[in-house]
Amino acid sequence: MAKNDLIIRVAGEGGEGIISTGDFIAAACARAGLEVYTFKTFPAEIKGGYAMYQVRTSPERIYNQGDTFDVFCAFNGEAYEVNKHLLKPGTAFVYDYPGGDFEPEIPEGVHAYPIPMSKTAKEMKSYRSKNMVAMGALSALFNISEDTLKQVLSNKFKKKGEEILNFNLQAFEKGKELGLALQKQDPWRVADPTTPKDVIVISGNDAAGMGALLGGLEFFSAYPITPATEIAKYVATHLPKLGGTLIQAEDEIASIAQVLGASYAGKKSMTSTSGPGLALMSEMLGMASMSETPVMLVDVQRGGPSTGLPTKHEQSDLFLAIHGAHGDAPRIVLSVEDVKDCIDMTVDALNIAEEYQCPVLLLSDGSLAFSTQTIPRPNPADYTIVKRKKWDGEGTYKRYLITDDGISPMVDPGTPEGMHIATGLEHTETGAPSFKSEIHESMHDKRFNKIKPIVDRYKPVEVDGEGDAEVGIITWGSTIGVAREAVARLRAEGYKVKGFYPKLMWPMPVAQYEAFAATCKKILVPEVNYQGQLSHFIRAETSIKPIPFTICGGLPFTPIQMIDKVKEIL
Amino acid sequence: MSVAALHKVELKPKDYKSEVSVVWCPGCGYHGILNSIYRALSELGVDYANLMAISGIGCSSRTPYFIKSYKMHTLHGRAGPVATGAQLARPDLAVLVTGGDGDGFSIGGGHMPHMARKNVNMTYVLYDNGIYGLTKGQYSPTSRPELKAYTTPYGGPDEPMNPLLYMLTYGATYVAQGFAGKPQICAELIKGALEHKGFSYVNIFSQCPTFNNIDTVEYYRELVREVPADHDVSDLGAAMALARRDTEGHAPIGLLYKADRPTLDERLHKIVEKVGGHAGYDVNKIIDLARP
Repeated sequence: MAKNDLIIRVAGEGGEGIISTGDFIAAACARAGLEVYTFKTFPAEIKGGYAMYQVRTSPERIYNQGDTFDVFCAFNGEAYEVNKHLLKPGTAFVYDYPGGDFEPEIPEGVHAYPIPMSKTAKEMKSYRSKNMVAMGALSALFNISEDTLKQVLSNKFKKKGEEILNFNLQAFEKGKELGLALQKQDPWRVADPTTPKDVIVISGNDAAGMGALLGGLEFFSAYPITPATEIAKYVATHLPKLGGTLIQAEDEIASIAQVLGASYAGKKSMTSTSGPGLALMSEMLGMASMSETPVMLVDVQRGGPSTGLPTKHEQSDLFLAIHGAHGDAPRIVLSVEDVKDCIDMTVDALNIAEEYQCPVLLLSDGSLAFSTQTIPRPNPADYTIVKRKKWDGEGTYKRYLITDDGISPMVDPGTPEGMHIATGLEHTETGAPSFKSEIHESMHDKRFNKIKPIVDRYKPVEVDGEGDAEVGIITWGSTIGVAREAVARLRAEGYKVKGFYPKLMWPMPVAQYEAFAATCKKILVPEVNYQGQLSHFIRAETSIKPIPFTICGGLPFTPIQMIDKVKEIL
Repeated sequence: MSVAALHKVELKPKDYKSEVSVVWCPGCGYHGILNSIYRALSELGVDYANLMAISGIGCSSRTPYFIKSYKMHTLHGRAGPVATGAQLARPDLAVLVTGGDGDGFSIGGGHMPHMARKNVNMTYVLYDNGIYGLTKGQYSPTSRPELKAYTTPYGGPDEPMNPLLYMLTYGATYVAQGFAGKPQICAELIKGALEHKGFSYVNIFSQCPTFNNIDTVEYYRELVREVPADHDVSDLGAAMALARRDTEGHAPIGLLYKADRPTLDERLHKIVEKVGGHAGYDVNKIIDLARP
């Protein structure tokens, strides 16, 4: 771990400013020119419950939430109870004392910083200022740039008026004084401010929304579901500015149906959901496959099955995404690694749906959904907007014309002489129903063959490392970010380790998997699900014999977990 | 439907026939309904290239195949939301949904209230024969009580629903009922529905000579009574009273209710106007909101 790489965890009761504290610290670090990777857990309760926000910051690029925290700030006794087993020697521990609801035991070697957060807030006659007191103390103790923190606070509170801003700044100052009054014992400090970079700080869900705008989205229909709803909120807020609209449907079946209808009518369309919604949509994905209608959906995976762990992280929809529909229903499945991918690959997914006229599923996950990260500010000019191939108006129009590449030109309703049917029944080139065996077989060939070229056309799978390796790690989704750090640290220790990070999940780039595996003695496949879903597809589609490494405790992997596993199987 | 799609062309009813042969059984009421649709389209001068005919699954859901137009044959119960998406994407075009009582009110029942209350600007013609025909004769949500059918050999245990009351309750802005045996009235009602701005619903009784030998043409002839000439179509209470049937159990045919309310696409357009939205908006302004 780089020396300047610091992880601060703040936890307490939902509703007492935990999330805004984390947001403020993250924004202040980003303004100070540092990289930020945040990680949160929310209570499933409507109000209250345990909330946690962790900020990892460094002058270097960060790929994951880290092994554990260096600094822990507990707003209440529950936060302490939940995290006390993580208070290892060397950790800095800031807590609400005296005047809080608990009196912690300080483990040997832990640097304790009692700050009377509640008491100070009470003296200021505003419970809401508790987090400002905490932030002031954290800033003083751990070198979080006071200048940029104050800029962030000003931006946030200036809308609410001078009085509210000044009150919050006063609380911040009090916290700072309390922090300065304590003897600093630990080495933990945020890196000094550096030249600010041209960045944005954005969550995975907002980034997917931004990607939708950059990808030329015209129609979005959604149904609320944790942890995907923020995508719809982002699009609902901003798409009307570009002349488009988002509608909230009565259920996920209706939202994907509306997407299919709007796409048939010529609009670039998408929806977003999580596993339970994807399950409801699977019949319509079959319809989109059969009728060759472009549809795009983002699935922000959560713990399942059923209601499962609705606010927790999991990567367990790969089976459903790839095979979820009746019959043989081809589709393309992509998955994102980080927040930058949430933008770039939402654009890709929208474009690919248009190009290949089929369902395209983009998998994100619960940990990325709310993780905010610093990424280079996207430039709209860098994105290409692909539209479907259109009929040239020559001859008689056939919607399902057999072509060399299997892609049949489409035509927008309203065009004279282009009338046709989009149908879920098996059909001939004109769309006329036909149940003849040769028609079903040749149309299946068309629908499956047309998507095959994506394997070579999509960006090649990134291989992390060169030469031969003892262990090759193949993983997907946000777990890639953990693997990157694990591979780097293992290599720094002298281990021969490589990584393979696919983003195109289906159809599988089999040749690339095989070529990678040929350079590794063992293949380890870490993923956050019970069954080892990617391992399953690797066994089914390639000659590789992977070693599955699965966890499903509602949390992402940590680099050290992966490092230990690699050492174990060596 | 969209006013923009009306009175564009002069076409005869037969000009709206597609090249696909009608597959319904001889004696089925649907032949009459289809002819009523052709007639209504002709009288309104709808350009068939500006029409999207959309259906789910069932005998009646085959209708789009027989109409010359843009069309979609979708999933069981899902014609409504597919059509909603198509309508919102192209509010300048006309959208006609056709389907049956099982497709609309059983499997698709979750969507019906929302098309009505949102006032999606399209026409839904529901062919109500009180039976599942395509799957060979099971009882449906509009089957008479204790109907003996394929899966109810001892009689169905359910009370039938009342489509008209349902639609009136959920806020449809045009609610009418016809009977396939009276094609003139059906054509008029469908024409009125297509001309209406907002969600228009036309329930049409039809006999199924193959799988329902109780609800025959003769039965329906006895059942139906034309809506009284003095009925006020703007009076929701009066429409509901008619829909609940009279003391002798007669079912009304004719227009029961008509109201003027903003459509969903109009309301969405207002949102775009409210934020000053336009295709040339600089997306950089949105991106910069995410700067720290």
